[in-house]
Amino acid sequence: MAQIGTFPDHPALKGIAPPRGRLAGLRSIEGSRAFPALLLAPIMIFFLVWNVVPLVWLLGVSFYKYKVTSSREPAYVGFDNFTDLWRSSEIWGLIGRTLTFMVTSVGLATLLGVLLGLLFWGSGKMPGRRLALTLLFTPMVLPPIAVGTFYRLIYEPSFGVVNHFTQAVIGRRFDFLGDKNLAFGATIAVDVWMWTPFMILMTLAALGSVPKAELEAAEVDRLPWLKRLWYIVLPHGKFILMLGILLRTIDAFKTTDLPYLMTNGGPGNLTEFVGLSLYRTGFEAFQMGDASALAVVTLLVAIAFTSIYLYVLNYRETRAQLT
Amino acid sequence: MADIRVERLRKVFGPVVALDDVDFSFPDSSVTCLLGPSGCGKTTLMRIIAGLEVATAGEVFFGERNVTGLPPRKREIGMVFQYPVVYKGINVRENIELPLKSEKLSAAERRRRVDEVIEVLGLAAAADKDVGRLDNGTRQKVAVAREVARQPRIILFDEPITNVDATAKLQLKRAFKELTRRLSQTIVYVTHDQTEAMTLADQIALMRDGRIVQCDAPRTLYSRPADRFGGWFLGNPGMAFFDAELHGNGTFLTLVSALVPAPLAVDGPQLAPGRVTLGIRPEQVLVSTDRVPGAVPARLSRKSVQIGGQWLLSLTVPGLDERAFKAKVGPEQGARLPESGEVFVALPPASITLFGPEGDRLPASFPAASAVAAD
Repeated sequence: MAQIGTFPDHPALKGIAPPRGRLAGLRSIEGSRAFPALLLAPIMIFFLVWNVVPLVWLLGVSFYKYKVTSSREPAYVGFDNFTDLWRSSEIWGLIGRTLTFMVTSVGLATLLGVLLGLLFWGSGKMPGRRLALTLLFTPMVLPPIAVGTFYRLIYEPSFGVVNHFTQAVIGRRFDFLGDKNLAFGATIAVDVWMWTPFMILMTLAALGSVPKAELEAAEVDRLPWLKRLWYIVLPHGKFILMLGILLRTIDAFKTTDLPYLMTNGGPGNLTEFVGLSLYRTGFEAFQMGDASALAVVTLLVAIAFTSIYLYVLNYRETRAQLT
Repeated sequence: MADIRVERLRKVFGPVVALDDVDFSFPDSSVTCLLGPSGCGKTTLMRIIAGLEVATAGEVFFGERNVTGLPPRKREIGMVFQYPVVYKGINVRENIELPLKSEKLSAAERRRRVDEVIEVLGLAAAADKDVGRLDNGTRQKVAVAREVARQPRIILFDEPITNVDATAKLQLKRAFKELTRRLSQTIVYVTHDQTEAMTLADQIALMRDGRIVQCDAPRTLYSRPADRFGGWFLGNPGMAFFDAELHGNGTFLTLVSALVPAPLAVDGPQLAPGRVTLGIRPEQVLVSTDRVPGAVPARLSRKSVQIGGQWLLSLTVPGLDERAFKAKVGPEQGARLPESGEVFVALPPASITLFGPEGDRLPASFPAASAVAAD
């Protein structure tokens, strides 16, 4: 690595010193064994300070009974926080709701994203394509706090624009965010609206990684479009697409801001997902130990998802190498 | 009939004219190589024939059928790309069979065709391997097999052996020869490699700056180039060129050059006195250490041995411009020549090609040639 553009550190070349100049000092650093470590140091320090230390701290706190607002010293309770979580009636409902939200939201966003991405793909020479893409990506760049706020207005039962249309078309108004039959779907709809552009972007990137010659060969070979997708587009594009799905899955699992702003988890706890629950336990009830335990569980779930995706991604390659 | 005819074909990319009103006909059931330097428009021409590129103007016919506006899938062609295209996640056999499934063929017929091309291309050992595990050369064989198995009447090859290793190159060339012997498709083969074109083609269409400058059988193209470009581009190295002059009146002309000791009688229609260019292939220059009839003194400045044992000589002739020219001699003679020094060169008149001031070949012959050769 350090040899690119510098004097190669090869035994046969010993004694043939590179011309000594201004960079001589730098070259001797590059040749040293510590050089790779030196290059890695900034990111390692960053990772240690911002990832490892808080994580260990979190793990530690999860073994304590610790209420920030109480004057009592944190008390070591072992796995009590975790067993409490395991035994509580709410945790399973919470995780179930969160997973349903995650699967539905990511599934719909992926489906729409791939379909729209495929439609956009053929528009390479369409005038105004750039503008259309920019507009399409607006939801993605909006801060969730803005999205949550204006969707509350859009869904508003008495003067919201959606109800204006439902009134005009079917003569009824709905309390989208307050009705127990509608709130979950309404929240998912906003999440899908927000994140479909991201999946379009990932689809376009995936499609961009498909070699042109292969598509041309398929055209000459008269392959039906489904076979083109299966044998050409998917093998090349799946990594980028799966990466998008993975990022979205992890992100959807910890969705906090959107339900917090739109429904505050209600009605009841119908739209309360892991993230929001965690926030409330930690910063409304100030039960730091319980919140930390929940956070550790969330982390484990996220790691599990990542592993499953990586396994699925590598499965065909592994199989191909084994046969 | 599946000859390919293009009429007044023009393709412009911004300010670049890739094809400049090309009129050409690729004969039925034969191999035509499109040969030319990079950027001469040969790939563009092929892609327009395939329908992958839309011409700015002009028309394409397959036999009597005008295909100008048709997409590639409706043209019933096969095409092998420079980049070896295989369909991922399936084995070689399935790859070859995949496009056949879209045709109306019985399973038995599909199997027969697949087996046949696997045998011709020597893919039997790889037939059940996943294509992901193949090297580029084998992948390209699979791509060739797939196109051949479809049995279109026209197959296009776009520099198919550029991206494969030397052994696979040789195998692919051999397989290609074998295929063209068995099949009677109209084949267009794009290449910038003259050796490839010389070995594979029934005729070579030589391209330059968006035009086809000459189309002939390989031997003819080599020995009788239509212009200086053909002489220079073909051969390794290409023709050596010298300034010369035609003297005399309309009925009796002689060629005067520092390379011929005495004016040489020239015959031919439409020849006029004036400046001309004399061209000769390096291997036809006679070099010796003795003064033979028709020879002039020259200076040998360098010699080097080439593939096949031939020697490449750098020569200069006094009285001519100081630019060195190349000659090629056989192994024994080359070994006998000194590293450098005085030698004699002679140009056999039958090997001389004359080019006019515009670079086009002049229809000249040398009546004395037979006499000299008989001496």
